[in-house]
Amino acid sequence: MYSQFAVELKGVTKRYNEIVAVNNLNLTLSTGEIFGLLGPNGSGKSTTLKMLIGLVQPTAGSVNVLGLDVQKQPVEVKRLVGYVPESPNIYEFLTGIEYLDFIADVYGVPPAEKKQRITEYLKAMQLEGREGDMINSYSDGMKKKISLISAFIHKPKLLILDEPLNALDPRSARIVKDFLHELKGQGVTTIMSTHVLEIAEAICDRIGIMYQGQLLALGNMEELRKTASLPGSGLEDIFLRLTGTEDLRAVVEELMK
Amino acid sequence: MNWKNVLFLVRVERKSGRLIRGIKATRYRENGFLAYWPYWTAAIIGVLSALLANYIVSLVYSQAAVPNLPSLGHATLSVFVILPTIVVVFSLVFTLLQQIQLSGVKASTQVMYWLPITWQEHTFASIIANLLGFPLAVVVGLAAGVVTFSIPNGLILQGLLTALALFAAAFLASAATESLRILQVRFIGAVYKSSGRAAIWVRFVGSILFFIFFYVLYFYVTSGFQSFLQNLNHVQSTIWYVPFVWLAIALSYIFNGLFLQGGLFISLSALFIAGLYYLAVWLNTEFGLYEPPAITVQKSGIYTPKTGLLGKLGFSSVEAAIIRKDFRAFTRRRELISVFIVPIIIIIIPLLESQGVISGATTGQTSLTLVGTIFLLPAAAMAMLLGEIMIGEEGQAVWRIYASPISAKNLVKSKYFFVTLFSTIILLVAGIVGIAFYHPSLRETIVAFIEGFFIIFPIGAISLYIGFRGADFSETRRARMVRQEWTLVSFFAAAIAGAAILAPLVPYVIASLIPSSIPGLAGNSFYLAISVFSSGVISLIITAVFYQINISSAREFLRKAEV
Repeated sequence: MYSQFAVELKGVTKRYNEIVAVNNLNLTLSTGEIFGLLGPNGSGKSTTLKMLIGLVQPTAGSVNVLGLDVQKQPVEVKRLVGYVPESPNIYEFLTGIEYLDFIADVYGVPPAEKKQRITEYLKAMQLEGREGDMINSYSDGMKKKISLISAFIHKPKLLILDEPLNALDPRSARIVKDFLHELKGQGVTTIMSTHVLEIAEAICDRIGIMYQGQLLALGNMEELRKTASLPGSGLEDIFLRLTGTEDLRAVVEELMK
Repeated sequence: MNWKNVLFLVRVERKSGRLIRGIKATRYRENGFLAYWPYWTAAIIGVLSALLANYIVSLVYSQAAVPNLPSLGHATLSVFVILPTIVVVFSLVFTLLQQIQLSGVKASTQVMYWLPITWQEHTFASIIANLLGFPLAVVVGLAAGVVTFSIPNGLILQGLLTALALFAAAFLASAATESLRILQVRFIGAVYKSSGRAAIWVRFVGSILFFIFFYVLYFYVTSGFQSFLQNLNHVQSTIWYVPFVWLAIALSYIFNGLFLQGGLFISLSALFIAGLYYLAVWLNTEFGLYEPPAITVQKSGIYTPKTGLLGKLGFSSVEAAIIRKDFRAFTRRRELISVFIVPIIIIIIPLLESQGVISGATTGQTSLTLVGTIFLLPAAAMAMLLGEIMIGEEGQAVWRIYASPISAKNLVKSKYFFVTLFSTIILLVAGIVGIAFYHPSLRETIVAFIEGFFIIFPIGAISLYIGFRGADFSETRRARMVRQEWTLVSFFAAAIAGAAILAPLVPYVIASLIPSSIPGLAGNSFYLAISVFSSGVISLIITAVFYQINISSAREFLRKAEV
C-alpha cells in the first residue's frame, strides 16, 4: 500500500490571487524521518503542511502521502495522519475529555484502547484534574496539549505538526520531543514547522529552509553548512545567511534611533 | 476623553466582522459609500416616506369637506413628541437582543484592554457600537423623515430639535443596554459559580427563558402598537417621573411655548444620559475585565467511553461522534441556544392570543387552521432554522471536520439526523400543546402529526443544502453561520416545499371549513387518505432528491476545504 516515501510533493504551487504562497515545491520524506520545515513568517510553511492533509488545494502539482493521492483519496489519507494546526481553533464548548473522545471516535479507536490512551496522554501532559472543564477556560498551552494528544491518539503513520511546541511548558515540550523520537523508532514519519532553531537542530533528521514559497536548502546539518558555506556553524547562522537576513546590526541600530 | 480613540474603537467594531467575512482577506479595501449603505438607504427611505406623507396630508387638508381635522402643525407636532419615546423602547429592545446574540468570541475586542484607552473612551465607543446596524439605521431614517416633513410645513426648527432628540434617545437606550450587558455577564458568572456542574443546564434553560421573555415583551408591545401610539402622548404626561420619557416631555413643553419647563426637562434628560453613561463607565471599570468562572462538566478521573444509543441505531462511530458534538454545541453555545427560541415562540404566541394575554386572534374555538398551524409551523421552523446553520455553526473550528477522516455521507447523515431529531421533538411538544389547548378530533390529530413528519424531512433536507451553500464560519463579533441572502432563499424554499406537500390537502381543508364549497368532500375518509398519501409521496421525492444533492454538496465542501 505504501510507497517508499511517506510524503512526496511534485511541482507543488499554491497561489492566492497574485500572491504565490508556495512555488514549484519538490520534496520527499522517507518513512520514519523527522523533518523540520523552517522559514521566516509568510514563507509558505503552514500552506505546505496544510496541503499535505488537504486543508489547502494546490494550484498545480501533486501531493502524495503514504502512497495515497491527497486529492483523490482524502479520507484514507486523513485516517493515517495526525495534524496539529498552528492556532488550535478547537471546539471550545466541549470539555478536554469530550474533545478527545470525539477525535478518537472520528478516527475509529476502539473504546477500550480509547480509554487507556486518553488516560495516559492526559497524565503525561499534566492535564489531569482539568479534563472535565470546558476548553474555553483552558490556557493556550493547555489547548496546544489537547491538540497534540488529538494528533497522537489514533496512532497515525504521519504526523504533520505546525509549530507543535509553541506555548508548551518545558516539561511537556521535552515529553513531545522524546515521544517523537520513540515514534520514529516505530516507523512514524514527522514533518514539523518551527521557529525554534535549537529544537529543529536537536530532533530533526533533515531540515528544509523555505523562503518566499521556495525551498532554499534541504538536508542534514552538515549538508546545510555546506550549502551556506558556513562550516562549523549553528543552524541560526545558516538560517540567517540563507534567508538573506544575516545583517541585523543595521536593523537594530535603526530601531534604536 | 480622546475622541480620536473613540472614533477608532467604533471603526474597529464596525469593521470587525466585515474583514473576517471578506473572501479577499488580503488587500482588503473598503468602499466608503457601500460600507455605510444601511444608513444612506434608511435616510433615502425616510426622505421619500416624508415626501409621500406630505403629499397625502396636503391632499387630505385640501379637502374642505373633511370635518374636525386638527391643524396640520398641531397634528405634526403631536406625532413628533412621541417619537423619542418610541426610539427609546425600540432601541432598548433591539440593542439588548443584539447583545444576547453576540458570540462568546472576544478576540477582536480584547485588544483595547491593553491599549492606552480609558474606560470612558471604551464605554462611549461601546454605547455607539451597540447601535450600529439596524437600530441606528432606523433612527437615521426617522430623523431624515422628520426633517424632510418639517421643511414644507414650516416647522424646520421643531423638526431639527426632534431629530436631535431622536439621536439622544437612541444614545440613552444604548447606555442603559451597556450597563445591563455588564451586569448580565457578572450575574451569569455568579450563577455558574454557585450552580457547579449544573451550570450548563442552568445556562441553557436560563438563556431560553431570557429570550422568551424579551420576545414576548416585544410581541406584547408590537401587537398593541396602534393603541400604544394613540395613548402614548397621554401616557407620557402621566408617567413624567420616568426619566426615559423626559426627552419627549421636553419637546412637548417647547412646542407649546413653555420654554422654561422645556429647558428644565432638557437639562434633566442630559443629566440622566450623563448618569447612565457614568454608571456604565463605573460598571466597566469594576467588571469590564471580569471572566466568568470555568464550567466543570464532568468530575475528573471518571472517564468511561460510552457506546451509546446512536451506535445501536445504526450510526457509525464517526456519525455518532458528530451528533454528540452537535448536541453539546446546541446546549452550550449561547448563540446556538437561540435557535430553539423561534419554534417555542411560535407555539406560545398563538396560545397567548387565544387566552387573551396579548391582542390578536382572540377566538378560543378549535379551528382546523389553528391546529394545523400549531402542529406544522414550529416543527417546520425548527427544521429550516437548524438545517441552514448546521454547517456554519462549526465556525473557525471547521478545519477539524476538513482534517478528519469524515466522508460526505458521514457528514450529511449525522447533520441531517440532528435536524430531523430536534424538529421531531418540537413537533411532539407542539402537538401535545395543540391537543391540550385546542382539543382537535382524533382524525385531525393523526393527520396533523403525519403531515408534520412529511414537512420536517424535506424542509430539513432543503435547509441543509442551504447550509452547505451559504455557510458562514466567521465568529466575530457575532457568529453568522449562514449568509443573510441564503436565509431568505431558505425561507422561500421552505415555504414552496411546504405548500407543495400540503397542496393535496387543500380541497379537503376548504371543504371542512366551508362545507358548501365542495359538496361531499368534508369528512370523506377515502379522499383524506388519498390526500395524505399524495402528500407523503411529494415529501418523499423532495427529501430523496435533496438528500442526494446534499451528499454531492458535502463532497464538494470537503474537497474544496480551505482554511
